[in-house]
Amino acid sequence: MENVHKLKFESPSFIQRLKGMLGVDFYRLFHTPMFYIFLAIAAFIPALILSTTGMENPDGTMSPQLYTNVWNAIAANTPLYTFNSIGEYANMNMVFIFGGIMVSIFIGHDYKSGYVKQLFTTHAKKQDYMMSKSITCAFAMACMCITYLLGAVVSGLLVGLDFSVNVGSLLIAILSKMIMSLGWASLYTFLNVIFRRYFGVSIASSFFFGTGIPIIAIGMIFGNAAGSVLNIFLYGSSVYACLSSNIVTLLVCLVVSVAWALIYNVLGTILLSKSDVY
Amino acid sequence: MNAIEIKGLKKNFGDKQALKSLNMTVPMGAIYGFIGENGSGKSTTEKIICGLIHPNGGQVKLYGRDYRDGDVRAKVGVLIEAPGCFPNYSVWNNMMLQAANLSIKNPEKEVQKALKMVRMEGAAGNKYKNCSLGMKQRIGIAMALLGDPALLVLDEPLNGLDADGMRIMREVLTDIIKDGKHTVVVSSHLLGELQKIATHYGIIRHGKMLCEMTAEELDASCRTYVALQTKDMNRTKSILGCKYSRVEEDESGYIRVYDAKEPEEIVTYLYQNGVLVSEIKTDKIGLEEYYIDLMNAKEVR
Repeated sequence: MENVHKLKFESPSFIQRLKGMLGVDFYRLFHTPMFYIFLAIAAFIPALILSTTGMENPDGTMSPQLYTNVWNAIAANTPLYTFNSIGEYANMNMVFIFGGIMVSIFIGHDYKSGYVKQLFTTHAKKQDYMMSKSITCAFAMACMCITYLLGAVVSGLLVGLDFSVNVGSLLIAILSKMIMSLGWASLYTFLNVIFRRYFGVSIASSFFFGTGIPIIAIGMIFGNAAGSVLNIFLYGSSVYACLSSNIVTLLVCLVVSVAWALIYNVLGTILLSKSDVY
Repeated sequence: MNAIEIKGLKKNFGDKQALKSLNMTVPMGAIYGFIGENGSGKSTTEKIICGLIHPNGGQVKLYGRDYRDGDVRAKVGVLIEAPGCFPNYSVWNNMMLQAANLSIKNPEKEVQKALKMVRMEGAAGNKYKNCSLGMKQRIGIAMALLGDPALLVLDEPLNGLDADGMRIMREVLTDIIKDGKHTVVVSSHLLGELQKIATHYGIIRHGKMLCEMTAEELDASCRTYVALQTKDMNRTKSILGCKYSRVEEDESGYIRVYDAKEPEEIVTYLYQNGVLVSEIKTDKIGLEEYYIDLMNAKEVR
């Protein structure tokens, strides 16, 4: 009985716990080659698109040029929820597709190594885990947006594309897409929590949602007129961040991204709390 | 106050009942040897204690509080299956990451202390993936020790250890409980090793606790036997078999007679049958034999 009084039962505060877990996740992010590989992939995508389009084919014909203006590799001129050519689709939003795969690998390691067992046995609460993963992966995807931008600029210069743009709208579009990373990262964290025992399914589901297929399908049915409604979804808002963006775009993206991040974090926390950890 | 108190614990995996109203009591300051065959429910019980899986019924209390209580969870250290380390990081970095997760103040000092306790100071710079199995087990215990947990739950920590590793592990575990503030639950199939350190035992079978006892109670329950050697072991066995109900030859070449009252009685009986005893001693059965006896007895019922 005497010994019980000597034992102090107290757990760290929410801030302490989150700080500790974020420290671990950021350390892991910066010390894994995967992060740098995905940064390179993000830079390579626009370089590949810009440098291979408009080139001379072996038969002497010219392949169609996707963009004449380099910034279309970042975003479309207007929000296009449905598209007619791959050029209208292939822009910075592709970072979110590859980002989903990165999140799957990152979270997959947690389960594969047995790290989550150690984590959930002791101090960590489920919402700390969801938050920490969402924030870390959002940061990683925002970094991928930056390397994508650099890749686009460098290859645009090399190919000799037009650089004329409304700088304010461009900056808002880029910033908005970076903000959208939080919502996307939370979605992928949630998907990986659902399919935590099936790594392949985790990656496939992240890829499926990352491509925006469900939203594109709705866009195809209702046309671009459904845009304002589609903006409530992650893919919709990501498309909304275009080269004609203004401050409203930024606010919409901020609200949508944070709202979905909260929803996915709450859902993920409930799921983790109710399910067993193997 | 007990470190762990479990009443009527139930857990189903689909149609399979892994735990059937299990009761378990682990006193504070004990090294509790948790014994049972594969699939008996040991790991399931340990995972419930650790909050990793949810029971379908029953009550689990740690230090008188609900096992889900965040404050009490902070006082649990665990090694279940694998230490949860990242293979490409060094032992030191893995430990520091765990210390960060636990929000430990002064992590360098704590990590050094934990590594010293498991005699792993010299291997701190090694990559985890390059460590031997024995080293990994000790790293797992060091990680479990971070944050000064009151309760340590160790699943098969003795697996894969060599003789020296076993000795170190025994020393580590007995060191941990010296202050009386720490409690260790350790499951293992190496009953001989477990007997050297455990102060309490719990034997589980088919999801039910067969019995719980202290080391002293086990000692008192273990039957004595007479072990002897003669020049003609086969003949001796057959002669003894005529009088005593259980006569067996053990691995070290002794004939064991379990139901003899005194060694002199056997010596006289064999002498009368023309057999001279070259060596004779009395001894007690160990935990392993006790366990096998218990399992066989339950099987018969």
